[in-house]
Amino acid sequence: MSILQEIKNRVRSKSIHVTFVDVGSCNGCDIEVLACLAPRYDIEQYGIYVHNNPREADVLLVMGAITPQWTDKLRDLWDKIPEPKAAIAVGNCPISGCVFARRHMYIEPPVEKYIPIAAQVPGCPPRPTEILNAILSLAPTLFKDYEEKQR
Amino acid sequence: MNSIIWYLREFLRVEWLQKFFFAKTAPLVSPQYFKDYPTTTGNECTGCCTCMMICPAPGAIEVLRRRDHWDPVIHKGHCIRCGLCVEVCPEDVLQSGRVLDVQRRDGTSFRSWYHLAVDDALCMRCGNCCVSCPVNRQEDPQLASTGTSSNDEVIMKIEDGRVRVIHEEKCTGCKTCETNCPNSAIRVARMVQGVHTEEKA
Repeated sequence: MSILQEIKNRVRSKSIHVTFVDVGSCNGCDIEVLACLAPRYDIEQYGIYVHNNPREADVLLVMGAITPQWTDKLRDLWDKIPEPKAAIAVGNCPISGCVFARRHMYIEPPVEKYIPIAAQVPGCPPRPTEILNAILSLAPTLFKDYEEKQR
Repeated sequence: MNSIIWYLREFLRVEWLQKFFFAKTAPLVSPQYFKDYPTTTGNECTGCCTCMMICPAPGAIEVLRRRDHWDPVIHKGHCIRCGLCVEVCPEDVLQSGRVLDVQRRDGTSFRSWYHLAVDDALCMRCGNCCVSCPVNRQEDPQLASTGTSSNDEVIMKIEDGRVRVIHEEKCTGCKTCETNCPNSAIRVARMVQGVHTEEKA
């Protein structure tokens, strides 16, 4: 393995850029993600930066049961994220639809139908620690040796 | 001048530098009392399915029949960790956080019954509900075809050309009437009420 790759692995595990998208949630999971930014959990001490622009991000946090308006737009958003990238489903909604998964509901879970999901964080809402653990355990392993794997 | 030196000395202290560069918040662990996904206590499940009936999230809990016992299974990704199944279980099969302790201390429980509602606009007075009801069958074996009965012990009967619900409390919630109603006019609803029993002094 080249030294350059080694450096890249190291940097990528210490600097994870995250963006989040709400595809029709009740705001519970959004609040938990915001709690990660607050001093109590302080996501930046682990080198995780939150952006509002998918073009700057490596990891996409998807929250909410998919509403029909989002079914095509989520794919567009996913395509805008530069490689290497990963998506994490935060909360029950993108996994199963949670309490909204009933008849006559205008939602279309699960989110795996639209973009590839690397990890799921169950909970309604999940604890900020659970979100944090998911990002921290997933991102370094997934982005490790990215260029080597491409070859 | 003195203060500048004091500050310089302060900032060159090893502890200060360590703290400045390597400070981390305390490792984050869920507190003991966190109401996490319910786990089993080891008490034997009787398969009454009360937990499934009270669960607000679709598909979150299932009581499965194993070879020789019942087994409540929580599905992550569906469960919203509200703790209602823990609270409602009569055998204390499940536990989560300090739900059981609080319940024991406060003497709270749930009371449930079945409510029968007939929509008179939809009902065509066929009497299928009264005839199909297994409890009615036991109370008055004569009850048939029209759904009329002289017996007042039945759950419901046709009286004066409309369904009259007499003994709602006898309903077992089997919903046979609901499935046999051609117009979906009768509805069986499970009602739940929180009950607080005063402590014995």
